[in-house]
Amino acid sequence: MENNAPLVEARGITKRFPGVTALSAVSFALRAGELHALCGENGAGKSTLIKLLSGIHPHGSYEGELVVGGKTARFKGVADAEHAGIAVITQELALVPAMTAAENLFLGVEPTRWGLVDRETMRAEARELFARFGLSFDPDVRVEELGVGQRQLLEILKAMRKNSKVLILDEPTAALSETETRVLMAAVKDLRKRGLALVYISHRLEEVFELADRITVLRDGATVTTLETAKTSRAEVIRHMVGRDIHDLFPRRASAPGQALLSLRGVCADAPDGRPVLQDVTFDVHAGEVVGIGGLMGAGRTELLMHLFASWGRRTAGTATVAGHSLSGGGPRAAMEAGLALVSEDRRRWGLFLIQSVGFNMSLSHLEALSRWGLVDRAAEAAENGRYFTSLRVKAPTLAAGVAGLSGGNQQKVVFGRALMPGPKVVLLDEPTRGVDVGAKVEMYELVNRLTEQGLAVVLVSSELPELIGMSDRILMLRAGSVAGEFPRGTSQEALIAAALGHKEN
Amino acid sequence: MERRVAARDISSLVALAVLMAAFGLMSPEFLAPRNLAMLSIELSTTAVLALGMFLVILCGHIDLSAGSGVGLVGGVASVLVFQHHWPAPAAMALAAVVGVAVWTAMGALVVRQKMPAFIITLGGLLMFKGLFWMVIRNSTVPIVEGGGTNLYSMLTTYYLPPAAGWALGGAALALLAFALRGRLTGAPEEREGALLELLAVGQAGALFILLMNRYRGIPLPVLVLGAATAVVVTLAERTPFGRHLYAIGGNEEAAALSGVPVDARVIAAFGLMGAIVAVTGFMQTAYAGASTTTVGELMELDAVAACVIGGTSLKGGRGSALRVLVGSLIMAVLLNGMTLMAVSPEVKLVARGLVLTLAVWLDTKLGANSR
Repeated sequence: MENNAPLVEARGITKRFPGVTALSAVSFALRAGELHALCGENGAGKSTLIKLLSGIHPHGSYEGELVVGGKTARFKGVADAEHAGIAVITQELALVPAMTAAENLFLGVEPTRWGLVDRETMRAEARELFARFGLSFDPDVRVEELGVGQRQLLEILKAMRKNSKVLILDEPTAALSETETRVLMAAVKDLRKRGLALVYISHRLEEVFELADRITVLRDGATVTTLETAKTSRAEVIRHMVGRDIHDLFPRRASAPGQALLSLRGVCADAPDGRPVLQDVTFDVHAGEVVGIGGLMGAGRTELLMHLFASWGRRTAGTATVAGHSLSGGGPRAAMEAGLALVSEDRRRWGLFLIQSVGFNMSLSHLEALSRWGLVDRAAEAAENGRYFTSLRVKAPTLAAGVAGLSGGNQQKVVFGRALMPGPKVVLLDEPTRGVDVGAKVEMYELVNRLTEQGLAVVLVSSELPELIGMSDRILMLRAGSVAGEFPRGTSQEALIAAALGHKEN
Repeated sequence: MERRVAARDISSLVALAVLMAAFGLMSPEFLAPRNLAMLSIELSTTAVLALGMFLVILCGHIDLSAGSGVGLVGGVASVLVFQHHWPAPAAMALAAVVGVAVWTAMGALVVRQKMPAFIITLGGLLMFKGLFWMVIRNSTVPIVEGGGTNLYSMLTTYYLPPAAGWALGGAALALLAFALRGRLTGAPEEREGALLELLAVGQAGALFILLMNRYRGIPLPVLVLGAATAVVVTLAERTPFGRHLYAIGGNEEAAALSGVPVDARVIAAFGLMGAIVAVTGFMQTAYAGASTTTVGELMELDAVAACVIGGTSLKGGRGSALRVLVGSLIMAVLLNGMTLMAVSPEVKLVARGLVLTLAVWLDTKLGANSR
């Protein structure tokens, strides 16, 4: 075999599940030392392919051949794949919240001395690993005290510790802030320099284009093409992914703003532990307007939305009103009655009832209005659910289908349906397109347009600057809990980042 | 998904049929009218308590104090009647108010102090047991003075006259038809399903009334169970309150952010449990004829077992009230059959534990295979 023979190769792989063919004759080759991005919409088959490479779908459960290091691989499980040097970091974090960072790093392979866990060695090695990747982690910090972004980084370090030859990263930056993403991407580049081969999956094409040597696009379970990054463009990749042209990724149609619907005046709020977080936040959002809120992770964006929705923090000063109704505690129910709706950041944790049906998830906030004599009017409920099911274009067999089986984009539409059903005046969106594929993203943006055309006000929190810039009529940057600057439509990414970091512009 | 539910439903129904056939073969008395009447009274106490437990488990909590509460609430009523010469209705009303108040307070502690219901109600289990023994002074307190009858004693000694039984059965069927009117007037296949459902319920009901009338008629506790079932099924399946309980058990944080008043709903579920504990306490004490130190013992575990055998998830958010009835029936049949065959108490305990474990194991197996 020559030197540039693929390290890992999938040859004509077909994988069937009852009723669906997830992959049909897919071919994919990973060369030693390259960073190979895998692109495709949700449901295109990326996850299935990864599960095959990592041994979750064992040999014999698929047709075709998997070749690792020149030999046919017959993985019986994850352990075999790990033994062959293939490690995967998935979107689901496998950390124990009550344990420390160091303990999590060494989970299952704790260094021992005389049969007892050798904490000193563990700490020292953890510290060394953190230093190697330029992270300022305290090895003794408990994972539950870390933010989502830091947990993700720790998870990645955990896999890197295993001395793998092939590292598969499945949406590693989906939950990361701008800075954390930078740190991670630097780490990924560093890994490639050390000769690792990487498979990188991300919905964020900027990252893909910055990192990848080659890009393989999957669509509907088949390999569409493999492209050299240097010889292609984003537009071409998107076209291959969706099978059609998306002319304008951010189709914001600005409408003339009307009266102020949401007004904040000098809002200050403390965290439950008494730490002041929001400081003197003042802004208005008008009917028909999208106000984007940016900032680094920890700048208080989610806290601001959750506070307005009466589910986080204690107000110490200031007022907030929705169309004249004062927002001052009383829980989410009171906030909803005032005309507010929230689509929260982590839909699996804060949005969905995964063991329930699509219909259950959609009508939950509107049940009282759909009841007669104290009983839910099932016909009225089905009609109302059906209306949103159709208008949001939820791709699910029926309203009775389990919501857990839906793709990220369709789950998000269900959450949107629940938020919109009570007829809010102001909609708060916290990272509404996280983990959602390109096609569904555009649908979300179209939905935002429809909402503002109906005279609703939208507050959009996003970590993706292109989205923030593309979809907002005005952008507020938060820094350390206060507004660091207000920017008009069309502001450059650089100016926004500078405001988020607190640099003076000249 | 529909199919899996059906497979599980049938598995517990098959288990029940096997159990009843086995007892019927081993002991000819088991299927005799008198024993079936006793069985239906025992079922009623177990099942009413299990229905209350179902509401608590549905929102992700548990009530370990129910058994002690059954003894205590019954004991309070007994003492008021026998030692303080209160009329039975007044005594029972006061005891019931105490039950609702105490359980509401426990619910409030669970949600407001963020203490696990397991701990709160474990404390309740011990405290109520002690208080019960204090109230009855470790003695036997009859439920009625001087061998007479009152509302309290009639709870398990009154039987509906045969004609009234038929009338009531007909009325219940009409009520069910009314509840199903949406489907009865709907699409052909829906109408067929609803008609079949009515027919099955009607036949089972007629068979039941026929059997009960061969003894002394329908026992009063069966009516209490019927009422409790109607209330709990309606609450759980048809009201926003019930949906909210499913939501809270499924994902409490998401429920709160969806505008579900989580605290109020959980407290209300516990309050309902208090009322159900009171009703069960009266029936169980009346069935024993007096408050003695063992009334209600281990009943909380039978109730939890009935819920779990009926497919209720202890994590909350999943389950159905009607399947809890099947679970209760299995527990009640098991206990009644073994008592009839003079099985020793220690063996009875082991058998109950085995059946519970086996049922849950089967349930997870069936669930996993058809997924």
